[in-house]
Amino acid sequence: MEGLFFNVDYGYVEGVVRGYKSGLLTRNQYVNLTQCDNLEDLKLQLSATDYGNFLSSYSGQLSTSVIQENLSKKLYQQFQYLRSNSLGTLSKFLDYITYGYMIDNVLLMITGTLHERDKSEILSKCHPLGWFDTLPTLSIATDIESLYSTVLIDTPLAPFFKDCLTADDLDDLNIEIIRNKLFKNYLEAFGEFIHKNFGLPDVEIMDKLLSFEADKRVINISLNSLNNPDLLSEEKSALFPQFGLLYPLYHHQLSVAEDIEQLKLLVESVAEYKDIFSESADLTGGARNLEDWFYLIEMQYCKNAFTQQFTMSTVWAWLRCKEQEIRNITWIAECIAQNQKNRIDNYISVF
Amino acid sequence: MSGAGNREQVFPTRMTLGLMKVKLKGAQQGHSLLKRKSEALTQRFRDITQRIDDAKRKMGRVMQVAAFSLAEVQYATGDNIGYQVQESVQNARFQVRAKQENVSGVYLPTFDSFINEDINDFKMTGLGRGGQQVQRAKLVYTKAVETLVELASLQTAFIILDEVIKVTNRRVNAIEHVVIPRTENTIAYINSELDELDREEFYRLKKVQEKKQEAVAAAELEEKEKKEKTNAVRVTKNQAEGDIVAEVSELAAGDDSGNILKESEDDIIF
Amino acid sequence: MSESMNKRKLLAVIAEEDSVTGLLLAGVGQVSNEPGKETNFLTVVPGKTTVDQIDEAFEAFTARDDIGILLINQHLADLIRYKVDSYTKAFPAILEIPSKDHPYDPEKDSILKKVRRLFGE
Repeated sequence: MEGLFFNVDYGYVEGVVRGYKSGLLTRNQYVNLTQCDNLEDLKLQLSATDYGNFLSSYSGQLSTSVIQENLSKKLYQQFQYLRSNSLGTLSKFLDYITYGYMIDNVLLMITGTLHERDKSEILSKCHPLGWFDTLPTLSIATDIESLYSTVLIDTPLAPFFKDCLTADDLDDLNIEIIRNKLFKNYLEAFGEFIHKNFGLPDVEIMDKLLSFEADKRVINISLNSLNNPDLLSEEKSALFPQFGLLYPLYHHQLSVAEDIEQLKLLVESVAEYKDIFSESADLTGGARNLEDWFYLIEMQYCKNAFTQQFTMSTVWAWLRCKEQEIRNITWIAECIAQNQKNRIDNYISVF
Repeated sequence: MSGAGNREQVFPTRMTLGLMKVKLKGAQQGHSLLKRKSEALTQRFRDITQRIDDAKRKMGRVMQVAAFSLAEVQYATGDNIGYQVQESVQNARFQVRAKQENVSGVYLPTFDSFINEDINDFKMTGLGRGGQQVQRAKLVYTKAVETLVELASLQTAFIILDEVIKVTNRRVNAIEHVVIPRTENTIAYINSELDELDREEFYRLKKVQEKKQEAVAAAELEEKEKKEKTNAVRVTKNQAEGDIVAEVSELAAGDDSGNILKESEDDIIF
Repeated sequence: MSESMNKRKLLAVIAEEDSVTGLLLAGVGQVSNEPGKETNFLTVVPGKTTVDQIDEAFEAFTARDDIGILLINQHLADLIRYKVDSYTKAFPAILEIPSKDHPYDPEKDSILKKVRRLFGE
């Protein structure tokens, strides 16, 4: 039944997204990219894809950062287009997607302010998808209390800050904790929103993607704070989003895990994550590492998301795929630029 | 005279000659010592330049690997952590310690890497994403910086050695081409002056001898004439001849030796 | 000499963003409140940082008494080549390092140039 009227409101956007999706680079195109000898070649190859002449206006020495910048620009344009053509629940959904980037931007501004950096310099580094009007005013804040009461309270981020106000002074350690706390709140709120507003196929897909996102953060946080005495286990578990495949069974155990073996054992007991540590112990590179596994799993989920019709979650899946694609191209460009061809096949392609 | 323009302004006396000879000997010894030092340093220097060359090439590779590890971080985190890293910096974890090494009397400073493990400004960097890659990049870069520090030591040694060798060579050359020839010239000069004096003295003595002989000859002649006169008188007066002649010749001999002494004494006073 | 040597503990960096990030990750960065010694690194952003700023930083870092080694990207050293080439002090040691987009070129290195000159190559 829900499919009946879906197209009335969201049909256009979904169509556009599926169009975008078919523009994603395929395995063959990636192979072509890896054959390039220099960045000019790469540019030429990319001009035959959906990116078209994205670099045509750029003259001068090509560098990977320039390529990445221009690829991202394309992504932002497409996303903004979707956003301006969306309505109702979909536009709310897209808003929720941008909140994640907003969190990063807010934290970036706070960090910059702490170190008295030039405002325009920081603003130029902010993620375009997370831009909001009051972002520049963030630099007036000196403590998180005033930050919240003057600026953030009017932004959609306000609810996420509810647990963070305990931190009375801002320093670099706190900022990273605040960031992760905000993300936890954000993910939880996002999940709630999905359950409240979305129909069946969407809920199923988004649930899977979001729990994966949550688990990814949980694993990362517990792994990266293994040797960090500043972060107590209670503090750690306060940063874990309260859902996902690891919740609630393993959260506590993960937060008290003391070495990587213990952690591995816990994570591997979840069927979906059985493989992620399989070769990550190899620090010399070459094999897939943890982050690669995460990306791979996520891409597979996203690919599967496209198999359902009448879903808004395709937007999320597409956005993730596109981001991964940009990372892939940047990686390939980096390998070409730095002459590290033996690692060039380390990208992740699912289409 | 040879080297008239290039010698020390000294009185050509035997004492100065002695001094000069000592000086020459010292200069020669110094020269050979300095030369040996310079050779030792140059050997070291060549060794270092070779190592610098190698190390610089190695650095090229190491830095490339390091830059690549950063690319991995970027791939894992999806965005640039540069800003975050720059803002998190507080204290230097990686420091250098300078120590000195003695090469042929030259103190060459070398840097030692010193890592303070207590300081870690990036504990939280990449906590939620890409932390593993960040840690790895950190390790790779630490290794890279260690290589850089080694290279910097070599380079400092290079610069200092270069300077010291230049100074030493300058000294060697100065001794070889200025001090030694100059001293030799001075010695030659003194020698020639002394020879000159000797020759003058010899000539003068010869002249004195001549004069003396003339005087003796004249005295003898006079004596003879006198004798002849007295003889003639005595012959005419018929005195005993043999006794008197013997007496006279004895007297004459005594006079002669007395004259020579007297004359040469006069001369010296003169 | 040795006392002044002991003070030279830090490394300074003049480089583009990626090199600075990497070197800071290794832990060379030091930020303090002491005037004239606020930071020991300069991030050069193409198009934003002027040659004068690089020049200034070079002067400032070489004049500081707590810096033992100054690392500078080779392509940035090229911008103030006259200065780097005429730098003869032993401390701080100046080291030209490659950057991500500019591989190391031994032909340009001021020290290697000296080496070659000395051996008449």
